[in-house]
Amino acid sequence: MSLPALPLPGEDQLPFDPPPEYARLRAAPRVIRVACPTGLDAWLVSDYAGVREVLGDGRRFSTRPGQAAHVLGAFGGPDAPISGFSQLDGPEHIRIRRNFAPQVSHPRRLAELRPLVEQITDDAVTRMLASPQPYPLHSRFSTAITTAVIAELIGVPPDRHQLLHDAATALFTTSTTPDELRRAVEPLWAYLYQLVATRRARPGDDVLSRMIEHSADSARPLTDAELTEMNGALLIAGFDTTASMITYGLVCLLNTPGQWEKLCADPELAASAAEELVRYLGVGAGLLRQATEDTEVHGQPIRAGDYVVVALQSGNRDTALHPDAGTLDVTRKPGAHLGFGHGAHACVGQQIARIELTTVLGTLARRAPGLRVAVPLEEIVWKKDSVVRGPAELPVAWS
Amino acid sequence: MKVVVERDQCIGAGMCVLTAPAVFDQDPDEAVVVLLDEQPPETQRPAVEQAVDRCPAAVIRLLP
Repeated sequence: MSLPALPLPGEDQLPFDPPPEYARLRAAPRVIRVACPTGLDAWLVSDYAGVREVLGDGRRFSTRPGQAAHVLGAFGGPDAPISGFSQLDGPEHIRIRRNFAPQVSHPRRLAELRPLVEQITDDAVTRMLASPQPYPLHSRFSTAITTAVIAELIGVPPDRHQLLHDAATALFTTSTTPDELRRAVEPLWAYLYQLVATRRARPGDDVLSRMIEHSADSARPLTDAELTEMNGALLIAGFDTTASMITYGLVCLLNTPGQWEKLCADPELAASAAEELVRYLGVGAGLLRQATEDTEVHGQPIRAGDYVVVALQSGNRDTALHPDAGTLDVTRKPGAHLGFGHGAHACVGQQIARIELTTVLGTLARRAPGLRVAVPLEEIVWKKDSVVRGPAELPVAWS
Repeated sequence: MKVVVERDQCIGAGMCVLTAPAVFDQDPDEAVVVLLDEQPPETQRPAVEQAVDRCPAAVIRLLP
């Protein structure tokens, strides 16, 4: 008997919600066996407590096969070589995080970054409001802002931005083959490898230079390959996931009665609105883990070596998390959720993403309260074959 | 109320400082959690409970 397919989001049917079958799965809660699009069979965990348990226990559930190998064809599963820190477990992974954290999640560093994000966002809003309508928000606004922020942080000049856009498109597209992926990311990697050498010779005030300096004093300084991969990951994930969340989040806000109006009436709600949109819309494709030992989740035996898919968006809609978890509410007090993941591998750039989302929502609410989507919801073109969800483009207008 | 942190497993995500800045800080070198107040006043309980819940690496514990 063949296994049921892993339920994946389909924006054409339900633009903002996980597939309906998850409601039944998390109510019990039940762990079922599913077939994933890349050919792996996996246990599917759909409820908040279960997802938190799996992601929170890196000893029992490894990220070795790659966090998205259930949906991305270019990741090879158990025998694939380790291509980055997201596939490391335990102390090896903590070592890398300790080199990231001072640059991307220390409160004093974040206080330095906030004015940069505000300036870039203000400029983008000014450009938009001076342009003809309708305006392509995803490419010209969301992607422009997040690309400028992350490229400025690492010190990548505008004439190299296309390198990271090309790499991200290949990396997040489910149909990319391993060869296509190698070809698409190689130019970015080659550029960054050179940039590491340049910054070793002439350090600046950018994230890469700071990482080099920081790790130089440690017991095991970062290698050129590690620095290349860490900064490449920051660049790629740093612009695409956040840009998509800005665009996707704005459609969702504008389409949910009363929510955009509440934010415009009180732009101080921007931080809670940002957190709520990440909870409501985040990580629809879920994440993959592999059991390291015979264990169980909700009483379902799981053997060492078995794959486990955790459905984060479904977990975030669990009534055990909020009785009204299915409702988008920009006034919800920010609390724990799974939208940035959970456990040791939780999103590295989540504090920068919070600053970007909060700044963008607050600035638009103040300066463009008459913002609206310029086409009916059914005519929005959604990204196809991408693990990073949202509209491929979004025509907007304003009054 | 007593707060305990396991610095070994900290990934420096910064949720504790965002949630309960009177009780937690991060060290300037590795951004690892620093406990500013091991026995914070009861008024800090909701914020500390939030920090426990929101810490991705689960390195904060609250003892009665």
